[in-house]
Amino acid sequence: MSRRYDSRTTIFSPEGRLYQVEYALEAISHAGTAIGILAKDGVVVVAEKKVTSKLLEQDTSAEKMYILNDNMICAVAGMNSDASILVNHARVTAQNYLLTYNDDIPCEMLVRRICDVKQGYTQHGGLRPFGVSFIYAGYDDRYDFQLYTSNPSGNYSGWKAASVGSNNASAQTLLKKDYKDDLSLKEAQELALKVLGKTMDSSKLNSEKIEIATIGKNQDGKIIHKIWKPAAIDAILREIGLVKEDDEEEE
Amino acid sequence: MDIVLGIKVQDSVIVATSKAATRGISILKDTDDKTRALNEHNLMAFTGEAGDTVQFAEYIQANIQLYGMRENFDLPPKAVNHFVRNQLASSIRSRKPYQVNVILAGYDEAKEEPSLSWIDYLGTKVDIPYAAHGYAGFYTFSLLDRHYRSDMSVDEGLKILKLCSEELNKRMPIDFKGLRVKIVDKSGIREIDVGL
Amino acid sequence: MSDPSSINGGSAVAMMGKDCVAIACDLRLGSQSLGLANNFEKIFNFGHVFLGLAGLATDVTTLSEIFRMKTNLYKMKEERLIEPESFANLVSSTLYERRFGPYFVSPIVAGINSKTDKPFICGFDLIGCIDYAKDFIVAGTSSDQLFGMCESLYEPNLEPEDLFETISQALLSATDRDALSGWGAVVYIITKDKVLFLIYFF
Repeated sequence: MSRRYDSRTTIFSPEGRLYQVEYALEAISHAGTAIGILAKDGVVVVAEKKVTSKLLEQDTSAEKMYILNDNMICAVAGMNSDASILVNHARVTAQNYLLTYNDDIPCEMLVRRICDVKQGYTQHGGLRPFGVSFIYAGYDDRYDFQLYTSNPSGNYSGWKAASVGSNNASAQTLLKKDYKDDLSLKEAQELALKVLGKTMDSSKLNSEKIEIATIGKNQDGKIIHKIWKPAAIDAILREIGLVKEDDEEEE
Repeated sequence: MDIVLGIKVQDSVIVATSKAATRGISILKDTDDKTRALNEHNLMAFTGEAGDTVQFAEYIQANIQLYGMRENFDLPPKAVNHFVRNQLASSIRSRKPYQVNVILAGYDEAKEEPSLSWIDYLGTKVDIPYAAHGYAGFYTFSLLDRHYRSDMSVDEGLKILKLCSEELNKRMPIDFKGLRVKIVDKSGIREIDVGL
Repeated sequence: MSDPSSINGGSAVAMMGKDCVAIACDLRLGSQSLGLANNFEKIFNFGHVFLGLAGLATDVTTLSEIFRMKTNLYKMKEERLIEPESFANLVSSTLYERRFGPYFVSPIVAGINSKTDKPFICGFDLIGCIDYAKDFIVAGTSSDQLFGMCESLYEPNLEPEDLFETISQALLSATDRDALSGWGAVVYIITKDKVLFLIYFF
C-alpha cells in the first residue's frame, strides 16, 4: 500500500509523510559525518571522508568542503554529485547579489536561496529531491559569524554547534555536553575534531580520513576562509593528540 | 532646467531641488518635490524626461521597500546606490531607456557616515562631496570648489547652499520657484525651511 | 561630440619591462567638458592580473563588475587565480558577446604569469580583438598623445624603477595635452613578487 506514495516526491502519504524526502534523509544518515562549531572569532567545520582507497588520488582538492563566496563556506553530507549542482547555484547566486548590490550576500539569504531550490524538488513533480545536507559557516556585518544546516526537505536552521550525516545524534549529544559559549576558534577546532573522532567508526584520524575548513578574521579584520591542506590537518591532529594509533602502527 | 543639488557635510547630506514643475513654456506647479524617500536613511533626487522620472523613482522606491520588508533590514546607502546604478545601466541598453539622472543622499547607520552619489541616465556613478545635474553644476561648482570643506556643519553647508541659490537666481534665465531643501542624517530624512 | 567613448574622457597605458610590467591611468571623470570627479580609477585587479578600462564610464563600471564576477567564479572552480593570458581571452570573448551592441571601452591588460614568471601586456578594441604587444599599449582619449610619448620615451628591458619613471612621464605629458584626461593619476609597477603603486595628485 505504502509503495503507492514512494514513486512521486510530491505526494503525501495517508500518514502525512513525504517518503522520498525521508529516504533522502536516510541516505544522508549513512554519509560521512560533518560537524560545525561557532566560535566567537570564527567558525570551524570538519567532516569525515567515507570512501578512502590507496588508489584514490590524494593530493586533489577537498571532497566535501566548498567555498561559496568570500564570506561563506560549507561542508557536505550526502551525495557529492547532487551537492556540486547546489554549490554551483549558490556561487552564481552570491555573485549575482554582489553584482547588483556591490556587497556580499547576507549568509541567511544565501542559505535560503539554496533551500528554495531544495524545497522545489519536494513539491514540483517527477524528480528526486537533492540527497544533500549542508553545514554552512559564514560571516556578515549584521549577525557576525554564523552557522547553519539545511537538509533535503529545504528546511534550514541556525546553530551554535551542529552535525549532519551518520551518527549525528551522538555527535549532537557530545556537542551539547561540551559546547561552551565564548569558545575561541582554536578551542572550537579541537572540540570539533574530538567529537568527530568519537563518532567515526575507525578511531584512526588523519588527513586521508577527515577534512577541515575554517572561516575567521585576520589581523586587519578581513574575513579569511581556509580549506585546510593535508599537512595542516595532520599537524593539528598531532598537536591535540588524536593520532595515537597511526604512530603505533609505524612503530 | 530643473535644479538638483547635493552637498555632503560632516555627518549629514543636504539636498536641494527646484520647486518648479515645467512643461514647455508653462510652469505647472511651484511646489513640486523632485525627491523620493527610498527608506529611512536614503533619499533620491531626480531630473530628466517628464514621466520617466517619477515612474523610475517610485519603481526604485518600491524595490528598496520590498527588500526592507523581505529581509527585515534596510539596505545601506552603498548597496542602494549600486542597485540604482545597475537599473540605469541595464536600462540604457534596453529598447526604451529611462532618461533619468539622480542624486542619492544617504546615511550609513553601521559606519556612521553620510553618503552622496551622482548617477546619470547612462549609469555613470561617482561618489563625490557635492553634486549637481544639468546646468546647475555650471553655476554652482566653482562656488562649492571655493568654499566647501568636508568637516562643515549643516549650518555652514546651508550657507554655501544660500550662495548657490543666489547665484542660480541671478544667472539662470528662468524662474525655478525656489529650492526645496532636505537633510539626511542619522535621525533620518527631514525637510527644512530655509527660505530659498 | 556624442561619441560614447569620449563623453567621460580618461586614458590608460601599460608597458613591459625586464621581468616587470607597469600599468597606469588618469583619475578624471567628466561629462563632456565639465569635470565631475578626480577619483575615478580605471585600473582594476583580479588577483595578480591588472585591467585598465578607458572609455564610457558606465561601461567601465559594468565591465569591472562583470570581470570581478567571472574571475571569482573562475577562482572557486579552478582553485587558483586566473593568469594574464587566460584573462586576456576572457576579456576578448566577453566583449565579443556584445558584437552588435558593444561596450564602449578600450581595455588593456597587464600582469606576470605566476607559473612562468613571464610579463604580459595586451590591448583590445571595443569588440574584443586582442592586440598583443612586447613594448607598450595605450588607450583612451589621449591615446594619440600617449603613442607619441611612448614611442619617444620607451626602451626595452627597463628595470622596475626606470619603467616607473618612463610610464609616469609618458602618461603625465600625454594627459596634459588632453582636455578630457588628467586630474590625477595612478601608476602600478608589477614584479613577480610585489606590486608597487603610486598616486599622483594635482
